[in-house]
Amino acid sequence: MEYVVAVLSIIGIHALLGLSVYLVAITGQLSFGQQGFYAIGAYLAGMATALWNWSLGPALALGTVAAGVVGFLVGFPALRVRGLYLGIATLGFGEIVRLGFLNLKYTKTIGGRLVGPNGAEGFRHVTYVYERGITQGQYLLVILLALALVIVLISLLERSRLGVQFRAVEEDEIAAAVAGVHVTAVKVLAFTLGGMVAGLGGALFVHYSTYIDHEMVALPLAVSAVTYAMLGGLGSCWGTVLGAAVLISLTEGLRVAKEFRLIVYGALIILVMTLRPRGLVDERVVLWLGGWMRRRRWRLDAP
Amino acid sequence: MSALLLDVVQQTINGLMYGAFYALLGIGFTLFFGVMKKFNLAYGPTVMAGIYLGLLPLYVWKAPIWVVVLTCVAGAVLVGLLVEVACFRYVAPGNELAPLMTTIGMLILIQELVVLLTHAAPFEYPPVFGDESLELGPFLVRPDYLAILLAGLLFVGLLYLLVEHTAFGRAMRAVAENPRVAQLLGVDVSRVNTLTFVLTSAVGGASGFLVAMTFGALQPGIAGWMTIKGLVVIVIGGLGSIPGAVLAGLLLGVVEFQALWFLGITWRDIFAYLLLFAFLVLRPAGLLGRAAT
Repeated sequence: MEYVVAVLSIIGIHALLGLSVYLVAITGQLSFGQQGFYAIGAYLAGMATALWNWSLGPALALGTVAAGVVGFLVGFPALRVRGLYLGIATLGFGEIVRLGFLNLKYTKTIGGRLVGPNGAEGFRHVTYVYERGITQGQYLLVILLALALVIVLISLLERSRLGVQFRAVEEDEIAAAVAGVHVTAVKVLAFTLGGMVAGLGGALFVHYSTYIDHEMVALPLAVSAVTYAMLGGLGSCWGTVLGAAVLISLTEGLRVAKEFRLIVYGALIILVMTLRPRGLVDERVVLWLGGWMRRRRWRLDAP
Repeated sequence: MSALLLDVVQQTINGLMYGAFYALLGIGFTLFFGVMKKFNLAYGPTVMAGIYLGLLPLYVWKAPIWVVVLTCVAGAVLVGLLVEVACFRYVAPGNELAPLMTTIGMLILIQELVVLLTHAAPFEYPPVFGDESLELGPFLVRPDYLAILLAGLLFVGLLYLLVEHTAFGRAMRAVAENPRVAQLLGVDVSRVNTLTFVLTSAVGGASGFLVAMTFGALQPGIAGWMTIKGLVVIVIGGLGSIPGAVLAGLLLGVVEFQALWFLGITWRDIFAYLLLFAFLVLRPAGLLGRAAT
């Protein structure tokens, strides 16, 4: 049971990271830098509870908002580049953040322990959750609530006028601009929201694991985050959640054959992207599901 | 000369030599992009797999060094063709992101396969040129780095002749310009694509051998490192430009070595990415590239 709770917690946190890629991707921008926002959220929220004695709620909010502000700032230079160039630029951003935290030293001695980001040693003893006696199951609820909130907000966004504008920018920037969409605002907004969601994920993660270091927010995490969104599909945010759930369950399920775990992972990415280039839950699936649900409702309504 | 100036010049020399690695990596990447208009993130693992296969004759049969080089090239070509079939051939056209993801999958797959087969133990690669540094006035030059620089220049020269002065080169340029029109004019596009994989993998295999020889040891993590550095180089140099990749590689090497010497090891990569950022924001087309997409 404990194991299931742990796996679900990781799925929830990684789904948030994947959703931050998704938010940026539905405006046609591919980001390999969302782990940078995740790191910012994790370090700041961790410092808030461990060093400044904040409680969990404000700390999560701080991590979310700080990552959002950085996302806003990154959004502007990111406007200059598109497509694959943007992928590389964001990859550079993520790595700069990681190397920044590798160099960050800000420690205090609390209760005889050295607490705080300590360069290559990482940031240990973010023990808020355990000191307050919050069980793993209760913390899982916190994670799932946060995830549910984000999913609801993204679904509302996608049903709104703004959501249509996001998709329009993905489809054709010039056409969208001609139709009156403020392309700059849409793209910067996508980066800001994406940064916030990733920051929230990081803030939740550091309190779950009590520890974070620069290697945990390196490129493999970026690759995972992009894979959740791409493999899951860009038709709906549920695709990303599904992608995270499938890939993490799979790697956990294959733990017995641990040498082959990542080999299967790689092969699966190749297979799925060849068969379904827009991911598992692509636009066609969403349309079909929508149609099916409408037909059912009609049948139920019929006398 | 003042000590500071001596340091700067010595680090510039080291940076140029090391940058020749980056230039070699960039050449294969950029050639591929020029023709296919796609990134091949599995290029690093292709090169790595090639130089690991080169270990086979070295360790098993104690073969002479030229056999090792040829095996590296042949191995890389073999893996490169595998990448073409697995990651590109069957992906529906018109999806820009799908082949990017399949090559990421391949990157993980090849890297983990090598980890599995070698138990992640580093393998020694034999030095060909010994450890003695050449003295050039007050400066030191490592002969193996010099060999890489010269090999880089040689490859650029050969590729220039191939691309500009042969029928195959003309076909490649036609496909790069516009694959549909090239097809209409009788160029066998899929053959050109396959041969591009062969060519870039062969260049990668030969460059990879030089890199492995200079490092003295080989471990699977090299695949990701080569992919990242290659990407940085081709963006700075301008996508598709071979001379641009060479210049960018050398520039990246010099910047990294100055940062390493004056600020320390953790600053090295920060400066590499800052250079990348500066180019993306101020000159997105790169050093010698045409207009950015």
